[in-house]
Amino acid sequence: MKRISLFLLAATCLTQAQAAGIKIVATTTDIADIARAVAGDTAEVSSITTGREDPHTLTAKPSFIVRARDADVWIRVGMELEVGWEPVILRDARNDRIRESAPGHIDASAHVIRLEVPTQRVTRDQGDVHPLGNPHYWLDPLNGRMIAATIAERLSALYPERKSDFEKNLHAFERDLDTHMFGAAWVEACGGDALWKALVEKRLDALAAEKGVAGKAGGWYAALLPHQGKTIVTYHRSWPYLAERFGLKADIQLEPKPGIPPSAKHLAEVVENVGARQAKVILQEPFYNTKAAEFVASKTGARVVIAPTMTGGSPEASSYLGMLDNVTGKLSAAL
Amino acid sequence: MKTTYSHARALVAGAVFSFYATLSSAQTGGDARYQKLEDEVKALRQQMTAMQEQHTREMGELKALLLKQSGVTTTGAVAQAGSAAPPAVAPVTLYDSLKQSAETLVTQAGAGKGADLDLSVVLDTYFYHDTADEAGTLPNRMRGFRSAGESEGPENGFNLREVELGLSAEVDPYFRAWATVSVNEDSAGFEEAVMQTTSLPYGLTLSGGKIKSGVGRLNRQHSHVWDFLDAPLVYRAMFGEEGLSGDGVQLTWLAPTPFYLLFGTEVFNGDNEQSFNVSDADGMPSHDAPRLYTAFMKTGPDLGPNHALQFGLSGLSGRHQVWDEENEGGADGESRILGADFVYKYSAMRSHGEGDILVQGEYFYRDQDLDHTVAAWEGLPAWTAQQDGYYVQGLYGFLPRWRTGLRWDQVGLINDVTSPEEGDLSCGASYRLTSVLDWKLSEFSLLRLQAGRGWYATDDGREDAWECALEWQVTFGKHPAHDF
Repeated sequence: MKRISLFLLAATCLTQAQAAGIKIVATTTDIADIARAVAGDTAEVSSITTGREDPHTLTAKPSFIVRARDADVWIRVGMELEVGWEPVILRDARNDRIRESAPGHIDASAHVIRLEVPTQRVTRDQGDVHPLGNPHYWLDPLNGRMIAATIAERLSALYPERKSDFEKNLHAFERDLDTHMFGAAWVEACGGDALWKALVEKRLDALAAEKGVAGKAGGWYAALLPHQGKTIVTYHRSWPYLAERFGLKADIQLEPKPGIPPSAKHLAEVVENVGARQAKVILQEPFYNTKAAEFVASKTGARVVIAPTMTGGSPEASSYLGMLDNVTGKLSAAL
Repeated sequence: MKTTYSHARALVAGAVFSFYATLSSAQTGGDARYQKLEDEVKALRQQMTAMQEQHTREMGELKALLLKQSGVTTTGAVAQAGSAAPPAVAPVTLYDSLKQSAETLVTQAGAGKGADLDLSVVLDTYFYHDTADEAGTLPNRMRGFRSAGESEGPENGFNLREVELGLSAEVDPYFRAWATVSVNEDSAGFEEAVMQTTSLPYGLTLSGGKIKSGVGRLNRQHSHVWDFLDAPLVYRAMFGEEGLSGDGVQLTWLAPTPFYLLFGTEVFNGDNEQSFNVSDADGMPSHDAPRLYTAFMKTGPDLGPNHALQFGLSGLSGRHQVWDEENEGGADGESRILGADFVYKYSAMRSHGEGDILVQGEYFYRDQDLDHTVAAWEGLPAWTAQQDGYYVQGLYGFLPRWRTGLRWDQVGLINDVTSPEEGDLSCGASYRLTSVLDWKLSEFSLLRLQAGRGWYATDDGREDAWECALEWQVTFGKHPAHDF
């Protein structure tokens, strides 16, 4: 009896020690980094993936279950990206706070702009097509903003006493992101919200002219502006959001169908298309094999660019904004 | 659409007028007249531009109004309405406006989802060949590990291993449930039919129904997720090809420790032909269920993103009966099994398992003491057995989606069996070495080639055989995510 009560005491101590700050566990590093910016210093934020692995295929390791067990808030990318492992972690964690229907379970995709939402019935003959749309949405910086606002909104509902902190943090993050995107001059003159709105409505130049800052664009936008309309080849369909936002065309993939490895026949077609459309860059994530890309490069003279789609995917991509810095920098240098 | 109509009429009228004007100017000529006509055309042009502007404005307002009424505000609509409509139509912030547009899209995409019942099917078929005198029987004839039931192995040729039909759903806020029906050439039945609590406090989960026991590592897994086609010899010997499962309840507890620590205990009716058998022969004492109790624990440290390690210990204790049909003698008593298992996984962080390593092993020790002898064996000494077995396997992903591996099986390192009639049976050990090559074409299909050699100690002496199989497996429907 004595032994049991000692053990229970130890167990209680452990649980109490863990209740100090808000424990947020995000499935991927990008979501974790944005959550960190929004939740502030008092929260303990960690992510399941490191940013170096393929987020589609992951094993629900026991250590993940322990972290989910202790989490107050769980944030996922959603759109079925984690469908192969999140359900197991959530089931085995036995944590009522973060069950899919609980307020502590946040789907970061709830309010994002989606691309490639299938309008027809999806069959697996089409490869790994996500019925809810392409889940790589965080590569659109505007969606980064939406993720942050979604997290801030839910955290404010969960912890109303810290609402003002979350809002302050959110605005700081948005300003930081806007500055990275458009440069300080434009953000100063026009304001971030107005700039994004204008970008979506394709009247950025008019806005800049109106505010007297025409030609003073900076950041990622300015870096990729000269390359608008150019075609990039990608391994997987992980880049449409980035391409769409920056006016690039990313409709040639090395994979014949999503999640299906490159075949010789398909690569021959790719080589033809790359030549016809004068694509200069083959873009892919670090975890994919580079053989197919190198083959196409050798036949066409296009350059293989390895860039992470996730925070932590390369040493330079140490934060969400750093990752986008890295990607846009590599692209503008290679295009 | 009245606006559009009147606008079009004005355009036509304008075109006709200017055509006549041009004609008359060509016929008569003269500077003053020409000047006058030019002025008229100019005036007309201005009028038309004004009308066009008015039309665009009206259309914009109309569209904004319609969108406002239906509750849809896309970013495109904001752009169109923005030029003329009052700013009150546009949502307050960028976040809110995009949020609204996302919501309409999500609703559209999620509309076809239907009821929350996941249905999946696994089809598993293979071609088998071995060189034994009686093909497919050797693992079932290992000396000292005789099965009480009729277990049949594969035949040389094509074998439909199973059609596995899986159903799973969240039942309500308190329970989830799943059922797996397995159909093969010999039988059809529930492999599993489990209801499970989802919201017990203190890290507890209670399951009931027909449960695959949580002992060991392979036991809980469905055969289609195994790394080799067949179960290791030690599983055949201790629990049978399908492993240990049965009607009962299971309680597990995830301890609140900083590392993974899970305890579980189960109570089963207890009818497993290999280790916890009840005989229906005359004269054999009958025992009410539950007759089998198990306990297990699993633990693993956090070794960082590239590594995963898990250890497990299991203990089982239950009623067992042996009936010898030839001599019409029987024995009844206790059967106990102790087990230990480990699994290590290395992730190279490349796509589709390239460079990944898996090492896994399990050991089981069985102690049977059947001291209640009946019928022809009555008065004779007890049936006793101390036996063990283990396997170790390693797999390596040498290309994306391609793996190769080896498994070493050994059963009967300790194999001391005493029969009431024959005394010491002096059973030997059986060994097997198996190699495997598998190719996961996608998450949903698999081709696997397996070849090996076995050295078996049977009742008829030592028998060796080459064994090989080519497996073809597909999964369709919505299959639940796999455990660690």
